[in-house]
Amino acid sequence: MAAQSQPARLQSGGLIDRARPLEFQFDGRKMTGYAGDTLASALVANGVTLTGRSFKYHRPRGVLTAGSEEPNALVELRGGSRREPNTKATTVELFAGLEARSQNRWPSLTFDALSVNSLFAPLLVAGFYYKTFMWPAAFWEKLYEPLIRKAAGLGRASGLPDPDTYEKAFAFCDVLVIGGGPTGLMAALTACRAGARVILCDEDFGFGGRLLSETFEIAGISGASWVGETVAELAESANVTLMRRTTVFGVYDTGTYGALERVGDHLPTHVPHQPRQRLWKIVAKRAVLAAGAIERPIVFGGNDRPGAVMAAAVRSYVNRYAAVPGRRIAVFTNNDDGWKTVADCAAAGIPVEAVIDPRANLPEGLRNLADRAGATLFAGGRVLDAYGVSSGLQAIDVETAGGSIVTLNADCLAMSGGWNPALALTTHLGSRPVWRPDIHAFVASAPPPGLEVAGAANGSLALAACLAEGAAEGAKAAEAAGFSASMPAIPAVGADPTGMMPLWKVERSRTKAFVDFQNDVTAKDIAISESEGYRSVEHLKRYTALGMATDQGKTANVNALAIMAALTGKSIPETGVTTFRPPYTPVAIAAFAGHHRGKHFRPTRLTPSHLWAAEQGAPFVETGQWLRAQWYPRPGETDWLVSVSREVNATRSGVGVCDVSTLGKIDIMGADAGAFLDRVYINTFSTLAIGKVRYGVMLREDGIVMDDGTTARLADHHYYMSTTTVNAAKVMQHLEFCHQVLWPELDVQLASATEQWAQFAIAGPNARDTLRGLIDPEFDISNEALPYMGATTLTICGGLPARLFRISFSGELAYEIAVPAGYGDGLIRAIMSVGAPFGVTPYGTEALGVMRIEKGHAAGNELNGTITAADLGLGRMMSTKKDYIGRVMAERPGLADPERPRLVGFKPVDRAQRLRAGAHFLPLGAKAVAANDEGFMTSVAFSPSLNHWIGLGYLKNGASRLGERVRAHDPVRGLEFEVEICDPIFIDPKGERLRV
Amino acid sequence: MSDLALKPLSAFRGHLAFTGMSEASGAGVTLEVRDDLAMAIVIARKGRLAALAENVCQTYGIDLPAGPKRVAAGSLAFIGTGPGQFLAVEQGGDALTFASRLAGALGDAASISDQSASRAVLRVSGPRVRGVLAKGLAIDLHPSVFRPGDAALSSIALIGAHLWQLDERPTYEISVFRSLAGSFAEFIWSSAAEYGVTIDNP
Amino acid sequence: MRIPCPYCGERDIHEFAYLGDATVSRPDPARNDAVQAFYEYVYLRDNPAGSFQELWYHAAGCHSWLVVTRDTRTHAIFGARLASREAS
Repeated sequence: MAAQSQPARLQSGGLIDRARPLEFQFDGRKMTGYAGDTLASALVANGVTLTGRSFKYHRPRGVLTAGSEEPNALVELRGGSRREPNTKATTVELFAGLEARSQNRWPSLTFDALSVNSLFAPLLVAGFYYKTFMWPAAFWEKLYEPLIRKAAGLGRASGLPDPDTYEKAFAFCDVLVIGGGPTGLMAALTACRAGARVILCDEDFGFGGRLLSETFEIAGISGASWVGETVAELAESANVTLMRRTTVFGVYDTGTYGALERVGDHLPTHVPHQPRQRLWKIVAKRAVLAAGAIERPIVFGGNDRPGAVMAAAVRSYVNRYAAVPGRRIAVFTNNDDGWKTVADCAAAGIPVEAVIDPRANLPEGLRNLADRAGATLFAGGRVLDAYGVSSGLQAIDVETAGGSIVTLNADCLAMSGGWNPALALTTHLGSRPVWRPDIHAFVASAPPPGLEVAGAANGSLALAACLAEGAAEGAKAAEAAGFSASMPAIPAVGADPTGMMPLWKVERSRTKAFVDFQNDVTAKDIAISESEGYRSVEHLKRYTALGMATDQGKTANVNALAIMAALTGKSIPETGVTTFRPPYTPVAIAAFAGHHRGKHFRPTRLTPSHLWAAEQGAPFVETGQWLRAQWYPRPGETDWLVSVSREVNATRSGVGVCDVSTLGKIDIMGADAGAFLDRVYINTFSTLAIGKVRYGVMLREDGIVMDDGTTARLADHHYYMSTTTVNAAKVMQHLEFCHQVLWPELDVQLASATEQWAQFAIAGPNARDTLRGLIDPEFDISNEALPYMGATTLTICGGLPARLFRISFSGELAYEIAVPAGYGDGLIRAIMSVGAPFGVTPYGTEALGVMRIEKGHAAGNELNGTITAADLGLGRMMSTKKDYIGRVMAERPGLADPERPRLVGFKPVDRAQRLRAGAHFLPLGAKAVAANDEGFMTSVAFSPSLNHWIGLGYLKNGASRLGERVRAHDPVRGLEFEVEICDPIFIDPKGERLRV
Repeated sequence: MSDLALKPLSAFRGHLAFTGMSEASGAGVTLEVRDDLAMAIVIARKGRLAALAENVCQTYGIDLPAGPKRVAAGSLAFIGTGPGQFLAVEQGGDALTFASRLAGALGDAASISDQSASRAVLRVSGPRVRGVLAKGLAIDLHPSVFRPGDAALSSIALIGAHLWQLDERPTYEISVFRSLAGSFAEFIWSSAAEYGVTIDNP
Repeated sequence: MRIPCPYCGERDIHEFAYLGDATVSRPDPARNDAVQAFYEYVYLRDNPAGSFQELWYHAAGCHSWLVVTRDTRTHAIFGARLASREAS
């Protein structure tokens, strides 16, 4: 019964599965199609001719093509958060329950309020926006743009998070074959038989290309049967990967190709754990481009009317889908190939009213064909204009060879202006196509290295040539990839004439003649562009928006060039070429993101104490890839500052513990390790005693500070460096550069040890007593045995090897203890246990930050890539007795200028005032202009020890201005406050607490 | 302080329990956590690669690989990680003493960095394992290209990874930095779920 | 783009970090015109169209610094060797 609901479905034939009817909806109307249909073919079968409204003029539009070049039949697919605008009905595989809606119409498709734009069409020609909405400028944002945006544009985005998942994947092969038509199948088959690893991709859900849409016989069987046999052989070969529904959308350097596999787009519902789409990066030793060709429209009045369909698309609908795009068909073709539509329609019993061919002298075979089809033949004729209502074509005006005008009734006009090889991929790396006058089309000139073009994509339009070229290029590709290939027998096919006479644009058309259907660019727009001087193809494009829609002008560009060429009296190749950029067809951004969305946007690194910190309810902060505990709230604490201040006070008065494992750690080994460190740090490390730690600063070669940290000497030939958390990888790369490129003669070995060690800072007056509870009794950690800046290896907790450093970032008596990372979780629990009698308090990155600001230690905010060691007040560390990275450049007058901003401390004059980082310093009473700028605040904190806010910052000549006052000006927050300049060390300036 | 005796925590602890696990269980991919591997980086000292190779050969009966290969004898393997650099992997030994035992055996021909705790290692095997890894790893694992004994340092889904093939099933071991075990496990899970996942140990 | 790492084999460009011209070398800091020489070493670079030797770091692989010969116009890669002159 389903068939009756499809008034335009042929009773038999086609490659659809009539045993599997599929219900679907278009604009709320329930319809039925079959498995094997596209949405477009199902709409055709249901007699739907109008599928949407055009971009600018809101003209009624229907299906133009049967492939991915479709500019017209763009619909919204699915609903809710899965609603996807601008989906080509011609490439959507029909599934049960599919819901689609037409776009760009209001309130309904058949009555569209904005189609009055057509009445104002004289105003909306090319360049209209540029000229009309120029003045006054203020009107643009508030008035013009919102109006234009409402009127223009196509589908609506859902505005909701995408519920589907996407993947990226990598594939490797010897031979990549792009396109599974006759050429691609022969190429794949030949390379496969040679033993090469072959990947065959086709954007369609079925292999075969035009063979599915034509009535060719190959080696005595139907084209579709030959496809079936060939694909079966490929599928059985272990060295072949067949990728249906996969568009190779881009060519990249060194044989790398981008491809989009639509894994689940054709399925009614999401399959658990399966992605919707998969983005493939395919690395191929060789590739064969067998992407076929794209038929081009003829430019005449009303050529965009629903019912004006490409001639080859008509054959696709009739032959492949058994769907009839019209009851009275006229064919307008300038070439032999278009006549296949006459033959196939006649064979399917579809009346062909007329054939209009601009060629006056047609071969007898074609004349006979018109007779057999019962069609009136207009040899030497042209279609001037097509007329109709919004639901479709009703009549055409034909100018006969004699110059008279005949009006014919037709509801479908099949048009063919010849074929453009689908060469887009060959231009992705910059190569420009060349014009082939014999076929009146562009072909690839110098395709990317490793890629060869075959078949129709190469301008060889006849089937026999496609099969032969496919085999030859498949063999060549396999050979080039190191296999021995032999040419297969080329199957016999019938004659396939490809004669044509160029006809780009019909003169004397009275109505709008479209060149770019998707962007609504007409022949007249091109004439305006030419008359205003925008004659180069690049200017034409930008002036008219030609070829700039989502289809990249696949059906438009060559016609436009030809029209411009005629206007300027130049040849087409003199006028310009068509080049394309990736992607060949649009790719969802989600597919490029793949797995890396939301919390998987980038990998997350967890510290050794993460599990424990999470149990304490700590909030975490991202530090690079790391998640670090920010503070550890106690019950009842609702303000972070309360928690942080408590942690600082507890540490300064008792003992605190903090996970510092994220700091970069590098084992530097070998006989020249000390000499190596001397060359990368501004200060000297070769003289450091074993069991000692030293603070070091390293510069970039331009004299700017790169990183800082402590380095311990654990053995004669073994140093252990720490870096800042965020610079860990950068420092490792820098050290490898110094080692491998600058001084390979040194006996130095480098190994990252960041992840090997769980490292905790234990700080505060009770730090030693807390530690004593962990250290195995044979080790002495008294002040004498392990003084400040001492380092040792020992065992804890009954034999666990550990490294212990007496270093302090907090300014208190402090240690950092390191154990193999797997024991980090156990160690933090042990520290909390043995420290309980001393009130041990865990502290997070906020308290760490407060304490380092109280001590005037520079961190990320201060090491901002513009700062010298002298700016930090560390000029005296810069050794004058040795060479090191950055030494020479640091001596440049600009960097050595004593007036440069120096790191100093700041206190609010009104102690109740909160300080703000980012505020700029101005002399008291000076105007807030850049010329008076003396520096800026880098870090601020509320100091619980001092009970007021404190800050660090860079101030011009700062070191000699202690006690002075300046104004801190914060234009971003609109704040202004007076601050007093002070020493950057706010707590224990003599460092006595460190040494107790 | 023996009452405090610390136990190591697996880097994958808490990271291998996934929602939807039961519906995705199956034989596509099998995962097994390898917490029994001790590791150390072994780097030949300047001009001492030949001496190191001789020491390793005499002591362990292992020919140091010249490229990214894994050469094993008994429970010990050396994997090439760079020119003159190796990752030594011992299965089932005392991880805490592995580096010092190596240092003792190899003398001054090499510098050794203890990495026994720095990596989280997952053994992955099963008929669909290549398909799973292809979703994050830009290396050709086709059996004609990458074979048992081959190793590669690369990245999987933006996570630095070291992988080596053990057999033709195929079975791979993949080592990532310990802190990334969670992200890595989630990637493997989300990539393998469509084929079915079995976890061999908790 | 793919770079043939002499140790790891051919790898995708995403595994590498770029530095730049491999033909400049760090001046002797003891020479009289050291400031000028370092200024040129740090800042002045040719930008040739065509074959160019440049330093790349195999960050996601073996951590080797490589000298890669690349055509700056086409991205064709003619080869790569370890930058360490005395790599063992």
